Amino acid sequence: MTQFAQAAAYGVVQGGLLALVAVGFSLVWGIMNVINLSHGAFAVTGAYVAWLLNQHFGLDPFLAIPIVAVAMFGFGYVIQRGLINLVVNAPIFLTLLLTFGLSLVILNILQLLFTADDRTIDTSYASQSFVIGTVNVPYGRLAAFFLAVIITFALAALMTRTRLGHAIGATGMDRGAARLMGIRARHIYAVTFGIAAALAGVAGTMIATVGSFNPTTTPGQLTLDAFVISVLGGLGNMYGALAGGLVLGIAESIGGLLLTGTWVNAIAMAVLIATLIIRPSGLIGKAQYGGRVEV
Amino acid sequence: MSSRGPQSVSSSTDALAAILQGRQRTGREVVVDWVRSRTLANSWPALAGVAVIALLLGLQQLIEPGTMRLLSAVFMFVALAQAWNIIGGYTGYASFGQVVFFGLGAYVTAVLMNNYHVSFWVAMPAAILGGVLFAVLIGVPLLRLRGHYFAIATLGAAEGAREVINNMTPVTGGGLGITIPTFGDQAPTAYFGKPGFYVAFLVLAAASVAISTLLARSRFGYAMVAVHEDEAAASAVGINTTVVKVVAFGVSGAIVACAGAFYAFQQIEFYPTDVFDPSFTVLMVIMVVIGGSGSVVGPLVGAVGLELLSQFLRVNLGTYNQLIFGAIIVVVVVFFPQGVVNFFRDAWMARRFSLLDNIRRYRL
Repeated sequence: MTQFAQAAAYGVVQGGLLALVAVGFSLVWGIMNVINLSHGAFAVTGAYVAWLLNQHFGLDPFLAIPIVAVAMFGFGYVIQRGLINLVVNAPIFLTLLLTFGLSLVILNILQLLFTADDRTIDTSYASQSFVIGTVNVPYGRLAAFFLAVIITFALAALMTRTRLGHAIGATGMDRGAARLMGIRARHIYAVTFGIAAALAGVAGTMIATVGSFNPTTTPGQLTLDAFVISVLGGLGNMYGALAGGLVLGIAESIGGLLLTGTWVNAIAMAVLIATLIIRPSGLIGKAQYGGRVEV
Repeated sequence: MSSRGPQSVSSSTDALAAILQGRQRTGREVVVDWVRSRTLANSWPALAGVAVIALLLGLQQLIEPGTMRLLSAVFMFVALAQAWNIIGGYTGYASFGQVVFFGLGAYVTAVLMNNYHVSFWVAMPAAILGGVLFAVLIGVPLLRLRGHYFAIATLGAAEGAREVINNMTPVTGGGLGITIPTFGDQAPTAYFGKPGFYVAFLVLAAASVAISTLLARSRFGYAMVAVHEDEAAASAVGINTTVVKVVAFGVSGAIVACAGAFYAFQQIEFYPTDVFDPSFTVLMVIMVVIGGSGSVVGPLVGAVGLELLSQFLRVNLGTYNQLIFGAIIVVVVVFFPQGVVNFFRDAWMARRFSLLDNIRRYRL
């Protein structure tokens, strides 16, 4: 029983972290119908920024978050404005290819700069845990989890309560109509992508704090997880990624307890295929995003 | 004069005679009509194909075994790109898990040859059959999805299949890999060697190009394009879209599984991560898109050009090869979104070679 409680607790905090990776991915997908295969690369880039700040200035990763977020926002804005906007109306496999090529470029530059070694950001509280009964939760993971939840709610508030959020939502629903209303779609797309990149960078920082990362295997895994979570949670709703992340995190940690060998790696895929067949619009997504056609 | 009576016509218009008499053409008439319908204008692709194959077989006498191996890889990617083009280019369903058929074909072949000592010439058709069956099995539920959802679902199917193979250790050897016996009495089929595989992959590439050409010119090919252009409209004019999609997926899967079978035998020893490597899928997609999807020549040019380029980069640029490769993908996608072959064909027809038009095409 203790084992299950421990696994469930771990699954929840891990799920929160995965949700933070996925929320930006899901935002970009829902608003501009682009699957960003370089999302994992953005997360790892953010992680390197935080790691550098920690190495050179001894900055705590949680304090480095604003710097990482601003830097990644700028990077994402430029990439969207200068590159992805050029092919945003193209058939889907072109945007998939473009972002794949982009991630190859980013990750190889990172690898040339920092080598392929596993890195982690050391903190004084990394080994300390919060204990309830027999269940241990490391403070770092707990903080990362709460941060993920807060950011998701903040993003939801941004989308529903601010002018910028309404502009983003309107552009996502009908770009042609939004442009007629005076919304600058190029700028809005770039801002959306910038927000997604900033969130990816923050998520990468958290991953670097509670675990380790490298430029070869981490990005692909993160992008794939973001995929699965976005589909599972559904698009068009900021809480979708949170719900999807929690479900996947719990399913993987409980599954890891029950299954032998590497079957645990198949859980995400099984969840994905089952969702697509049974409920393609996701847990709480809006059905309109299921098979939509761009104007 | 024949004895068909007053309606009798000379044998030069057999087809017309058959239509006028309201009967089916006889087998002989069909053959005669087909031969007479051949002109240089409509048979040049076949003639050119035969000439290229003859040339490549002649070339084999002049080159080193190492170069043969390199060209074998090029031929294999020609087949893979043609296969992806059938489902992704013509039918418009961008599968991002086509490597699943490659891995499946490789494992069916290796398991049959290793565990049951079956000849390669039995194992390879079994691999193709396995590919077709799996395509139907996953195609029926997944081909209901569209766009990104289909892409991701196929990606998921490929990753999932790899884990299944990885965990079926008693049969497949799991993560420790599998070895095809190629020595002495243990070998069910003698190893082909580099020259043998050169010919084998050349035949595979030629067959895939031929299948693609025949499909593209057939009634079924038009049905695939109709599904691509507008599925609802295709359905409304009486095309059974489910059948078209599943058959296209199956043909594509069969070609990829066959390539996987040859690849497995060529490699002798391999691991699940080798033959289920998602970068095979990515390469297929890149080759088709860069060459030009929805045509036979596009994937051919894309596969040959890109594989030679990537071999060149690997040899000459060492650690920078992936970086340059990624940059090339980005540049080509931005400047030639419709594919290099399609760009030059359209530009030639319009006598207008403007890359700026290309960028404007999909820009926001």
